[in-house]
Amino acid sequence: MPEHPGAVALEVTRTVFQGIDLAGKSLFYVVSTAVILVFLYGWYRRVDKYRQGRPAGRGATFWRAVRGKADVGPAGRRDTRTVGTLAASSTIARRDTSAGIAHFFIFWGFIVAFVATVILTIDHDIVGPVSNALFGHTDSFFHGPFFVVYSLTVDTFGFAFLVALVSMAVRRGIRRPFKLGYGRAQNPDQGYSRGRYVAGDWVFLGLLIAILVTAYLLTGARILSQGDPWFTALTPFGRTVAEIYSGLGMTPAAAATVHTYLWWVHAALALAFVAYIPYSKAMHILVDGVNLLASDRRATRDLPGPVPGADHAGYQQISDFTWKELLDLDACTKCGRCHDVCPARTAGAPLSPRDLILDLRQWVDTAEHGITLLDRESRPDATGPLAPAGEVPIAGGVIPAATLWACTTCMACVDICPVGVEHVPLIVELRRSLVEEGQMDPTLQTAMKNLATQGNSFGKSARMRARWTKGLDFTVTDARKEPVTYLWYVGDYASFDDRLQENSRLLARLLHDAGVSFGILYEDEWNSGNDVRRAGEEGLYEMLAEHNIAALAAAGFQEIFTTDPHTLNTLRNEYPARGASYTVWHYTELLAHLLDTGALPVRPLGRTVTYHDPCYLARYNEVVQAPRRILTALGCELVEMPRNRANTFCCGAGGGRIWMDDSMLTERPSENRIREAALLDVGYFVVSCPKDMTMYSDAAKTTGNDATLTVLDITRLVDEALVRPAPSVGAMDVLT
Amino acid sequence: MRIVVPMKAVPDLVEEIEITADGTGIDREYLKFVLNEWDDQALEEALLVKEATGAEVVALGLGSDPDIDASLYTAIAKGADRAVRLTGAGEVPDTATRARAVAGYLRDHPADLVITGVQAPDDLDGQLPATLGALLGHPHVSVVVSVALVTDPPEPPAVRVRQEFAGGRAAELVVDLPAVIGLQAARQAPRYAPISRIRQVMAAGGIEQVDPGLAPGSATGASGLAVRRMHAPEKTSHAQMLTGSADEVAGQIVDLLRSRGLVKG
Repeated sequence: MPEHPGAVALEVTRTVFQGIDLAGKSLFYVVSTAVILVFLYGWYRRVDKYRQGRPAGRGATFWRAVRGKADVGPAGRRDTRTVGTLAASSTIARRDTSAGIAHFFIFWGFIVAFVATVILTIDHDIVGPVSNALFGHTDSFFHGPFFVVYSLTVDTFGFAFLVALVSMAVRRGIRRPFKLGYGRAQNPDQGYSRGRYVAGDWVFLGLLIAILVTAYLLTGARILSQGDPWFTALTPFGRTVAEIYSGLGMTPAAAATVHTYLWWVHAALALAFVAYIPYSKAMHILVDGVNLLASDRRATRDLPGPVPGADHAGYQQISDFTWKELLDLDACTKCGRCHDVCPARTAGAPLSPRDLILDLRQWVDTAEHGITLLDRESRPDATGPLAPAGEVPIAGGVIPAATLWACTTCMACVDICPVGVEHVPLIVELRRSLVEEGQMDPTLQTAMKNLATQGNSFGKSARMRARWTKGLDFTVTDARKEPVTYLWYVGDYASFDDRLQENSRLLARLLHDAGVSFGILYEDEWNSGNDVRRAGEEGLYEMLAEHNIAALAAAGFQEIFTTDPHTLNTLRNEYPARGASYTVWHYTELLAHLLDTGALPVRPLGRTVTYHDPCYLARYNEVVQAPRRILTALGCELVEMPRNRANTFCCGAGGGRIWMDDSMLTERPSENRIREAALLDVGYFVVSCPKDMTMYSDAAKTTGNDATLTVLDITRLVDEALVRPAPSVGAMDVLT
Repeated sequence: MRIVVPMKAVPDLVEEIEITADGTGIDREYLKFVLNEWDDQALEEALLVKEATGAEVVALGLGSDPDIDASLYTAIAKGADRAVRLTGAGEVPDTATRARAVAGYLRDHPADLVITGVQAPDDLDGQLPATLGALLGHPHVSVVVSVALVTDPPEPPAVRVRQEFAGGRAAELVVDLPAVIGLQAARQAPRYAPISRIRQVMAAGGIEQVDPGLAPGSATGASGLAVRRMHAPEKTSHAQMLTGSADEVAGQIVDLLRSRGLVKG
């Protein structure tokens, strides 16, 4: 094989180590070995950290995902991801198409570059020496058609890789979207600096760009030094560089010299990058695929129970975390999507899901003397996540209590995270620790005590739960005494809140008119425990659930429907783990069914409305069609808010927030939402959740929009459109 | 140091309280009973003293109080060392009988300090701490808002208490132990006991049951008072909303005050 520079290679190939002498080669192999050792040590340190976590029960999830199998949610959206998701960068493209496309090319560009290197290694370092030892001549498959396809692939993917990297640099450096800003939601007293994060970002991007640029300069020099044989037409971008060199007057001999220098620069950069991977944000190349494939949205819908065998509630030490959660901490690439969508952050609360994850990562790194070089926050004083190990508790120290209590558990962060980080279950675990220590708002404490004594958060007598039915001209069936088709799980707000009881009566009348067989549990219905559980009071949740499950078991019904989406979530997704599996509907699903079947005859209302998707209905349980079907059936024109369906914006009441003080917020999430709706030309803000009714009625007033925007429950629209007297259709079939 | 906190379960005031057919008591059958809120404050203050001094805290209840076990277990979950349920005081003991049952227990199991709620919904006069002090022959202070052990000098054993008066005045008193304190409010809001911890404590059991026998009291055995008739509170009239301009409203207020004879002229 011709080894001398400038020779015209008649064979269709290129020379590996062209222009590098034996000493150079030796040096390269020695340094490469060292780099691989540095890389493996870093990787070992990372894995060793994750191994401190307890079992996550995600191994099976991961392997199913690897086999391309996803578990789908109630309405067909995926709860788990597959290698397909990973290969398409589709989670990154979601609501940010250009970033997704750029990442797609970076992802595949990187893989192609990696595979190309592996192929070279196999050919040059395995096939060559082995064949030489066995047969006495050095074999190679790196020529002919294989080489041509190889060159074309590497050249084109490499160029797309470079273009994508440059576009990402432009995005980060010039376009600067809000989500890429590193300002904290919670400001430490003595200040902080995230300059090292920024440095880490640019070192990562810069190294990759430099590697690719030198690759093309190198290829161009090689092609020119080879005398530009015919087959270099299939290395179009490399050849273009060669033509530029040529145009600048470079001779093939000079190109060979340039090639040698560039070869060393390129090799040094590439090796530096490989060594750098486990010590930097480049770590996401190794971690995030695993994290995404092991992620499962169901863990947010149906929260994990207490840590088995623990002598304390919630999380207090690293070994309380599951390996998946420790992986979550490293998986974060600071893309800021969760920071962007978080209603708490938007409202000026001291919580950003991104900062929460980064702070926990920093805390683990501080405690474990982590290996991350840049990508750290610095503070003038060692507070919060920078405090020495064991000096401050995680919940209430590393992460301030006010930060943890700010979460509405709306799931927007989990939903948008492109790498499968599950923030909400982690926040609940930390809240469990706060509850254990009694660190909570007095108002929340009162609500909890009321729930423990009377089964409702209103502090009203349990026996008053069904008092709202008093104003009806018929008696609502007692499902404990008489079997019904549907058990209506009314919920605290629809039962006890004076402003909502009329709405509950309206729904009862509609169902009565439609001939639906339904009943309630009267005083045996207690709060389902959804918000209690998310507030971290697991014991109280267990108590409420045990009571309700016994009450449900003693009642006679076929299916359940709920008024409250939060209740729906817990009945549908969390009670089955305690042995109570029922078919659970939301009342909008039932109303939509009654309208479809003609059981509720209506006239068109012809109103222009907007509809607010409740988080626990749309994002958690994927019920988005039923309310829209109702609006269509009522002849209403639906004008969507920009944030709709799974991208809905929280009212601020979930996860127990409704029981806490929100005076520290600069703009309540509900006000932010009403302002979004006020920009549309609609007169009605339609809701389908009792908490939304109270939150948005208030927000319409406080933002001064109540004169032009009427907040009303979808039930009221159905009632207004109803053509009475409704024909009695008798007992109807169950929905399923 | 041993601190005993006598606690009482009272009807949850969110319930609709009904008077029995004979008109001498309330119908307790369907009522939910909760811990008297002042006893909750007393327990909190006792736990604060425990944290400062390492004292032993004993929560004490009467077995005849409905749902009292829940309060006793909650007390343990919050940090009380022991919980004792007393029997033998009758079905519905009045305050005097209750005091004699508690005094009977304290006679056999002496305490350095007794901290109990200054009052209860059915003892708005705050008789319990005073009666208890009298029966035991200990000094007694009520309407107290903080209790701290006197450490300088350590002898004789005493506590420094802060007693609230009307008009924002307060007094600081030093009381020799043993003593009985009627607590108005603890230095901090009563702590929250997570339900899981209460349930663990419940599962472990551990309430001691004691029949102390009543301490000697009056000849009739109880307070000597008999309830002849109970009345539901009279319904008061609703608030009257004054509407109109500021001047009109001011005029209406003046007219109202005149018509009620509150101002002259």
